[in-house]
Amino acid sequence: MNPGIDALSMQGHGLLDRRGFLGRSATALGSVALTHLLGREGLLAAPTFGSALPSDPAHPYRPRPPHFPPRARNVIVIFCAGAVSQLETWDYKPELHRWDDKPMPGGPAVTFQGPAGNLARPQYTFRPRGQTGKRVSDLIPHLAELTDDIAFVHSLTSKSNTHGPAENFLSTGFALDGFPSIGSWIGYALGTENQDLPAFVSLLDPRGVPQNGSNNWGSGFLPATFQGTTWSAQNPVRHLAAPGVGAPADEAARRLLGDLNQRHLEQHPGDERLAARIASYELAARMQLSVPGISDLSTEPAHVLRSYGADDTRNPIKAGFARNCILARRLVEKGVRFVQLFNGAYASGGELNWDGHNKLKEQYDRHAAILDQPAAALIRDLRQRGLLENTLVVWCTEFGRMPFFQKGAQGRDHNPDGFTCWMTGAGVRRGVSHGVTDDLGRAAVQDIHPLYDFNATILHLLGLYHERLTFLHNGVQRRLTNVEGQVIREILA
Amino acid sequence: MRRLTPVWFLGLAAGLVTLLRAAEATPSGPRVHWAFAPLARAEPPRPRASSWARTPLDLWILEGLERAGLEPSPEADRIAWLRRVHFDLTGLPPTPEAVVAFREDARPDAHERVVEALLQSPAHGERWGQHWLDVVRYADTHGFEVNTERPHAWPYRDPVIRAFHADTPFPEFLREQLVGDQLGRDTATGFLVTASVLLPGQIGADDVSKRLARQDALDEIVVNASQAFLGLTVGCARCHDHKFDPISARDYFGMQAFFAGVEYGDRELKDPESEARREDIRRWQQRKAVLESELSRIEPEARPGSPAGSTPIRPAVKARRNSDRFPPVTTRRVRFTVLETNSLEPCIDELEVWDLEARNVALATGGTTVRSSGDTTVENRHELRFIHDGIPGNSHSWMSNEKGRGWVELEFPGPRRIDRVTWARDREGEFSDRLATAYRIEVGTDAGGWITVADATDRKPFKGGNPTSEDAEAMLSGLEPRVRARARTLIDERLALERSIAGAVASQQAFAGIFRKPDRIHLLRRGDPEQPGPEVAPAVPEALGTLDLPADAPEPNRRRALADWLAHPDRALVARVMVNRIWQGHFGIGLVDTPNDFGRMGGRPSHPELLDALAREFVEQGGSFKHLHRRIVLSATYRQSSAHRPGAASRDADGRLLWRYPPRRLDSEPIRDAMLAVSGELQRQRGGRGFDLFDQRGGLSGFKPVESFPPEGLRRMIYAHKVRREPEAVFGAFDCPDAGQSTARRRESTTPIQALNLWNSRFTLERAEAFARRVRQEAGTDPRAQVRRAFEYALSRTAGVAEEREALDAVRSHGLEVLCRALFNSNEFLFIP
Repeated sequence: MNPGIDALSMQGHGLLDRRGFLGRSATALGSVALTHLLGREGLLAAPTFGSALPSDPAHPYRPRPPHFPPRARNVIVIFCAGAVSQLETWDYKPELHRWDDKPMPGGPAVTFQGPAGNLARPQYTFRPRGQTGKRVSDLIPHLAELTDDIAFVHSLTSKSNTHGPAENFLSTGFALDGFPSIGSWIGYALGTENQDLPAFVSLLDPRGVPQNGSNNWGSGFLPATFQGTTWSAQNPVRHLAAPGVGAPADEAARRLLGDLNQRHLEQHPGDERLAARIASYELAARMQLSVPGISDLSTEPAHVLRSYGADDTRNPIKAGFARNCILARRLVEKGVRFVQLFNGAYASGGELNWDGHNKLKEQYDRHAAILDQPAAALIRDLRQRGLLENTLVVWCTEFGRMPFFQKGAQGRDHNPDGFTCWMTGAGVRRGVSHGVTDDLGRAAVQDIHPLYDFNATILHLLGLYHERLTFLHNGVQRRLTNVEGQVIREILA
Repeated sequence: MRRLTPVWFLGLAAGLVTLLRAAEATPSGPRVHWAFAPLARAEPPRPRASSWARTPLDLWILEGLERAGLEPSPEADRIAWLRRVHFDLTGLPPTPEAVVAFREDARPDAHERVVEALLQSPAHGERWGQHWLDVVRYADTHGFEVNTERPHAWPYRDPVIRAFHADTPFPEFLREQLVGDQLGRDTATGFLVTASVLLPGQIGADDVSKRLARQDALDEIVVNASQAFLGLTVGCARCHDHKFDPISARDYFGMQAFFAGVEYGDRELKDPESEARREDIRRWQQRKAVLESELSRIEPEARPGSPAGSTPIRPAVKARRNSDRFPPVTTRRVRFTVLETNSLEPCIDELEVWDLEARNVALATGGTTVRSSGDTTVENRHELRFIHDGIPGNSHSWMSNEKGRGWVELEFPGPRRIDRVTWARDREGEFSDRLATAYRIEVGTDAGGWITVADATDRKPFKGGNPTSEDAEAMLSGLEPRVRARARTLIDERLALERSIAGAVASQQAFAGIFRKPDRIHLLRRGDPEQPGPEVAPAVPEALGTLDLPADAPEPNRRRALADWLAHPDRALVARVMVNRIWQGHFGIGLVDTPNDFGRMGGRPSHPELLDALAREFVEQGGSFKHLHRRIVLSATYRQSSAHRPGAASRDADGRLLWRYPPRRLDSEPIRDAMLAVSGELQRQRGGRGFDLFDQRGGLSGFKPVESFPPEGLRRMIYAHKVRREPEAVFGAFDCPDAGQSTARRRESTTPIQALNLWNSRFTLERAEAFARRVRQEAGTDPRAQVRRAFEYALSRTAGVAEEREALDAVRSHGLEVLCRALFNSNEFLFIP
């Protein structure tokens, strides 16, 4: 439960014991240290709700109880940047075959990027899958095999049709810049199981960062502790070792620092922050030891590498993404609370992400080959190891695409009015399709859910009331779901 | 307690709350929220131990302590106070010399002298300017998904720093922020447009998207002005009447109407200095053209169709600038054909064709027309017409619609005698993709045919990268010595001119708001631009006072009226908000602990009468910041020790009553600055374009942090090019705001990532090396003297006996750097005592 206590230095122990930091009872934490450390703005839900307390400084990631018994303990979010077309993947619209190459009756003349062209049929064959017989596209054959396990929400809407604000909206609940991301909210609420690793890790796609970059894993106005640590199979965590400093010199410096801080602490008894900083160096030292081991995939058996496609030498980007998928599993295995797994990078005319404006089919063939097998293998692997019982896997994208092609192009424009994301794993009902878009897939028409609801559902599965997970900032009790949000109960197991 | 609380009690409590709320709202006697009331005029209290006080403000603090049964802490150690006041007023530690001087200064006004010197130093403006930039969420990029560089943002940052250094009176400062364009302080209006914004081309082509984007942009201005000056979050009222504060949706849109004619954008500055600079630029550009023409005659001529295997003599193509010279030829048409790129569709920012008098005959303004094989058009960014509009850079460029190929043809209004073509992917050096690596330049014959005058066959092969300096060297290497000397002179002069021009161009542009005829502002139902209600005229929120303008008031009058209203001495709220920010800067926590929220949900002042007394004094002193600083840092309250006292803490855990000086960790910028000051490397050059923290100054792809900084990167961190949302690789983790939303008060978190960064980063190791060098130079080879000097620099004291022994052990076996690294990471170094 509390790895790392033994490794705490004596001064850390002494102070922590004195302050009752190690007490099991959350109430023993009291408000004394907390108001100091997080500032008076930093209060989680009002204490009357009996919710988790904000982090204590020496152990910002210490596990904290949720509001009610959770269905999921960890989350992996597969985030497909650039807006995946629902019409080429999960939301089958046979009517579009009939209407192919005809103008959309009453459709908009101009959409995000310019004039609208004619309706276009789904660019891939949809086949019935599994016992549910739900039709899913041949674009993603491996993921399609998991259809029976997935809860689809086909009727999501976004507040913005522009990638940046829409990725903000998906990740933070606000279209504007500057709000905390979902992973940081969750780390802030729940801490994490493994005290040697960050609570929130963002694994970046081998092709680059997503459109809205660090906003997707930023901590906004929450304490910096809770921001996502970027990592990937290609780029390890920064500053894990001092370049050019030998072990003896490093050790000597560390000892010297310990002595300096020890003496200073003795002269300044009672200031928790000093002890917290001492403890943070000890945590850092443990991360230095634990992180390289997790990054080292050479210990994975060949058949595992093969099943993810991590050994695919013909498609190095796919192999790279597959390695990130394996890393995601390892992180969850080690108790990391929230893992964001990016598929797709920044705006590039659809070359590097799912933004298929012009040459949708040509580009999606490439992108799906990167996503499909590794992501499906990850879910299978989690299940096989029993991890899926406690892990929620979310697949999401910032919005969908229009049923018509853009004028003079072979691709679809942005569509925030009805698109699909899904979940599987812990606490999620299997084989359900919730919400409906119209026959052409232009907009959600039944059980319409703004992304607030999707995020509220994720929090719910983690045992959190989305209305009560709050943080007072500039006079407003801020939430991930702003003043909105309904849990989508239809997709809960 | 919870178990025993009977239901009737809860019911009663709820009833009471309802009653109280109702009482507040009764029209017969609406209770005015404390922050909106006029400033109280109270005599200082007379606490028992009043001899402790040094200034009137101490009386209030002391009275508060006595009432809580507490007493103040003893005076801090003299040197602790010195470090404290140095960090507080300038963000830098005292030098060992300053420590000795102060210790030995027995004059009664020694403290006053220190404070005066610090307030007069430019470093003071650099520190306190940062506090303001936090509030207005200043950054050098545009934010959102594209996050491109905002190259002319810094002309706002510098005058903010200067204003705090010069102690610009607050009413004047406030007016300049809102209407500086009318007061000869053009750049100050950068205040209006500090937020993230979607630029043209990033907003959807459909009208719905455009209206929403405009609303978002206006909202950021309203939110900024209201938070910064009124300490109120009016933003909620955009969608509904404020839940807690008396701000209605009508009030909100009334505020919006003051800014309805403000657009985000660069503006040519209109002050006299800028006019003079414009004349300089014209002269420098003429001179540069002459140089280029002479240089071009030294450049080797292109030899198109050079056979494969021959030794290439011309430099490889570059993203920044390429020149192709050929024997003079008379023609009406020039065609540039791209045959291969390093990636994607080719992009060319400007195609220039030079005649023998060094005039660019390609310019559209000279009547030249253009056509192409096909374009990828992104409005206001990539358009065919931009290839000869005279404006360099990716944001004014042409892009082909085919991968790896495409051509552009220029047709002059008549025959032109030409001998050179220059072209680039991006003369601003930001982009190096989409570069033509194989190409052909042809001139048209009268018969309608084409003759190739230059291509890439005689160029060295393209090897990637985006070199800037090799340019000249590569060219010079192929010349005979006599010509080379002349060429070097020319190139050096050109480089100097380019720097001057870039500097001058940059300094007469500012991202400071563009003012135009105001939009009509409507009350929008649920904030939705698609559901407009009645039109709303400019007005301040009803609860705060009366200022109403006609709905058709002209643009400048609107901002001016609001500025005058806000700057009026009767605006108690405005004075309270500002005074509270200053107090917070000194103590880490304000008298009101929610500096951006003085509404009902905000904190109540810990010392309401003191806040009002200080606000009154601030107003009476004409809004002098420095007067207030002196009052505070010379007080007995400020001079207290920061030692923890369990008894006092048990009664006042937050220390709001100030029974001690609240110690706190340095903010991210002062940590970096202090390391540089101690290592002796801090560059004191002030102002101007920000130094790089990353390999690029904006953009959507991953930012690679600079790990080892050139000297210009060793300036104070406030002069860094601040990329919105991208935390600086080492110090960002120390709760450095990301400039997304206003940061009125910095958080202080403690994380293992901070420890990893400060312990292992190249930045720290290099500072430790420099620090060690400095110490060895000053203290000589005696390790004991070295340890003493290192402690003096880093901690303003000498090492204790045991400390010295431990340090000597480490220094003797592992070198002085080990000690320097440990000192930079020590709690004592990182906390304001």
